[in-house]
Amino acid sequence: MSSRSVQYTSSPLLASKTPIWRSQFIVAVIAAGFLGLVARAAYVQVIDNAFFKRQGTVRFVRTLDLPANRGRILDRHGNILASSVPVPSIWANPEDIERDPAKLKALAKLLGMNPAELDKKLQDEDKTFVWLKRQVDDSVAKEIAALKIKGVYDRKEYKRIYPEGESVAHVVGFTNVENLGQEGVELTFNKALGGKAGSRRVIKDRLGRVVEDIGEMVPPVDGEDLQLSIDSKVQYFAYEKIKEAVLTNKAAAGSVVVLDVKTGEILALTNYPSYSPGKRGNLSGAQLRNRALTDTFEPGSTMKPIVVGLALEKGLVTPESTIQIGNGKFKVGTATITDEHAHGLLTINQVIQKSSNIGASKLALQMQPHDMWEVFTQVGLGQKPQVPFPGAVSGKLRAYKTWRPIEQATMSYGYGLSASLFQLAQAYTVFAHDGEVVPVSLVKTNQSVMNGARVFSSQNAAAMRNMLHLVTIQGGTAPKAQTMGYAVGGKTGTAHKVEGKGYASKKYRGFFVGIAPIDNPRIVVAVMVDEPTNGAYFGGDVAAPVFSQTVQQTLRMMGVQPDMAVKPQVVTKVEKESF
Amino acid sequence: MSRLSFLLMIAVMASALYLVRTQYESRSLTTEIDRATSLARNLETENDRLDVERRAQATPLRVEKLAREQLHMRTITPAITQYATVPGGVAASVPAEVRP
Repeated sequence: MSSRSVQYTSSPLLASKTPIWRSQFIVAVIAAGFLGLVARAAYVQVIDNAFFKRQGTVRFVRTLDLPANRGRILDRHGNILASSVPVPSIWANPEDIERDPAKLKALAKLLGMNPAELDKKLQDEDKTFVWLKRQVDDSVAKEIAALKIKGVYDRKEYKRIYPEGESVAHVVGFTNVENLGQEGVELTFNKALGGKAGSRRVIKDRLGRVVEDIGEMVPPVDGEDLQLSIDSKVQYFAYEKIKEAVLTNKAAAGSVVVLDVKTGEILALTNYPSYSPGKRGNLSGAQLRNRALTDTFEPGSTMKPIVVGLALEKGLVTPESTIQIGNGKFKVGTATITDEHAHGLLTINQVIQKSSNIGASKLALQMQPHDMWEVFTQVGLGQKPQVPFPGAVSGKLRAYKTWRPIEQATMSYGYGLSASLFQLAQAYTVFAHDGEVVPVSLVKTNQSVMNGARVFSSQNAAAMRNMLHLVTIQGGTAPKAQTMGYAVGGKTGTAHKVEGKGYASKKYRGFFVGIAPIDNPRIVVAVMVDEPTNGAYFGGDVAAPVFSQTVQQTLRMMGVQPDMAVKPQVVTKVEKESF
Repeated sequence: MSRLSFLLMIAVMASALYLVRTQYESRSLTTEIDRATSLARNLETENDRLDVERRAQATPLRVEKLAREQLHMRTITPAITQYATVPGGVAASVPAEVRP
């Protein structure tokens, strides 16, 4: 070995003495670190586990609402009267919206509001959610999305669409922006139509995708579809005709009710003025009112057939019995009942045909008030119709014990009691359905014949139909009710309108309730025209033509063959082929 | 002994990795299902919307307008109708309840 050899073990670097405590200190620090971790782990996993679990859940578990579809409303043939479709609604997050004046101006324009309005909505910067406009058009939503404003979003909401528009507005009604029924069957059947929303709890990942279901899902229960008895074609036609009649007679309003006699189903129920259920800005109460059910009036002469029917039923008279009308004036107590003409001696048939007040009064005075009251009640007067409509009224029929003789007489020609047009239509099913009052239904029944409560014998009902037919032929009060191909029958009514405490002198209501075809009835049609001011105001002039047209179209659509000979006007002839 | 432990450890590791993989797959499948369900729902509502639109094109109001104005048709009356009775007598008086 040379002297230059180095003894590594004695390197001056290594030779430096390290105090033992240093290594011990390091070990202790590391151990303490581990202990700290263990303690923390125990704290997180054992001691305050619930808190941390909850915090975790808040960060990645979401409860999703599963909205239920609102059921559709269909007509009797399955045509859609109301259905929900998804539409975008625009909302913003004022906290982090990008406040670029140019973009906000463009946005305001697209939303159809002025920039100041928009600013007001976005004022409160603490809010994280504010609706800008609900239920906008698809195209508008797309344009807004194209603006790419940070903090403005859209969200799908359901909107109700009513393809038939005005003609069925009063029947179907409408919903509000929260999809709750507000009017018509939308309101009455709100619960069944609405269904029940479901929910599910899920874990979402960083990208917002659902990655796992937790617990059980509550599936949404979609609302049930509701099939009404309404026939949209009949409804439309009736609406068009009553609209036409209201406009030509310069009237305030009008209504039509069409009932299927066999099943009691409501084929049409329409009023004018109406509204578009989809566009409901500036709606007035007059437009909203379902007059056929909510407006009551004194039924006037349309009551006479019911009284005469009762007289037949009680055996007081036969259709051919005669009754003395005299000079057209008849005193009851201190009051005088008058007829337009001095008819002299009339048969019972003619009492109806000529609509004699005196004839009806004389019959009524031979009856017990109780019997009259009972029949009136049986045919549905003074009682709320059993139809699922908000606001249907019962009309007025006073207790028979309070009737004085003059009242008993005036009631026989329809004064001193009140009813809605719908009640009158139902009352007339007693003649059309062979003496039975059919229970009415707005929902499709799928039955071919419904049985009702018997009021008159079928023989007397047939006799009454014959009288009603006489009204519509020459010599009756409503020849304008005639319709081509079908024999019809019915009764006109004209009533002074009540204003304040008495009758308004020049305000009338003309109406007509009829049956078609008269020999084998299929429908009852009731028409009312309120305050006609264009000269004509008698029911036979203003309402009967609407009846005629409605009957014509309805029977054709129902496939009922004409029962009267019609002079054919078929112009094309089939030529013989020649070779 | 230590070899056995080593093998077991490998097995545990493999199983753990497999678990992670399965979990991952299950999650992506859930995402797929979710996407498919919402697509189905969207298509359903789209179908509803189209149904309504089709109906809106075929309302009596529009049909009558088109028939009158473009096709110059008029409302039929019994006078210009020929009634045919089908032998057996069923079809004639049965209302045509045809779904559109």
